[in-house]
Amino acid sequence: MVDEHERPDAGGTPARDADPDTDGVPPAPEGPPGRQVPAWVDERRPRSVYGVGQEPDARFSLANERTALAWVRTGLSLVAGGIALTSFATFADLSAVLDVVAAIACVAGAGLSVWALVGWQRNEKALRLDRPLPSPRALPVLVVGVVAFGLGLGVYAVFSAW
Amino acid sequence: MVSAAGAGDDAPRAHPSRDVGLQPERTALAWQRTILSVTVGSLVCGATALRLDQPVIVVAAAAVAIAAMLPSVLRLPEGGLPSHGHLRSWRFLVRMVLLVSALGAVGTAAALVSMLQGDG
Repeated sequence: MVDEHERPDAGGTPARDADPDTDGVPPAPEGPPGRQVPAWVDERRPRSVYGVGQEPDARFSLANERTALAWVRTGLSLVAGGIALTSFATFADLSAVLDVVAAIACVAGAGLSVWALVGWQRNEKALRLDRPLPSPRALPVLVVGVVAFGLGLGVYAVFSAW
Repeated sequence: MVSAAGAGDDAPRAHPSRDVGLQPERTALAWQRTILSVTVGSLVCGATALRLDQPVIVVAAAAVAIAAMLPSVLRLPEGGLPSHGHLRSWRFLVRMVLLVSALGAVGTAAALVSMLQGDG
């Protein structure tokens, strides 16, 4: 499990001072005697997230970061799908309906990537406050959207084949 | 203990300051995947805009690609471990979301132009 090395210092507190001899790490150079020099002042943004609660296990924060990046990539693949559709439309001289679908996909992808920021904040806050993780609200929206996207394109394909 | 890894040492200890789950590495790879995807997406968008004869969209798509790649080219990866307590991913996350949103806007513009050209 996590030992002392992997646990980031709680924000702003000079944790080293409690046990300066940990692992033979020399204590940080002190300022004038009698004055506490914090090892590290937590200035991370956004303060609405980092200003509350306690520092969680860094691995959970990293997992949260990867989750947010996965959301960004999901939005990005929607954007890429829209761009690919436009690209095919220019090659094959397809109908303007597809261009409308492509534009909707691009906008939806951008919105989904913005949601990644919101979701990251919610999760990180829950981690810091040691609360249950919030439900992934964007997931049903994404599923419904992708299903509608696929069904719409399928119906379009069937009708254009006739 | 860090030993000379003898034959009987069946449980080689990882470096103490390294997460055995390789979480920082996995996170760095996730970042690289995302940056690469943005770059590829904007290049495809640029190619589409080239076919549409829209130099403005081409330049915008190329700008997104460059803006995605440039920081990772100019800045050496710090490889800072999370145990250092210096996770400052918010800025990069915001930047990435802005890039994807910009690409979405450029792609929308390309789709609209394609639609208008198809009508014309």
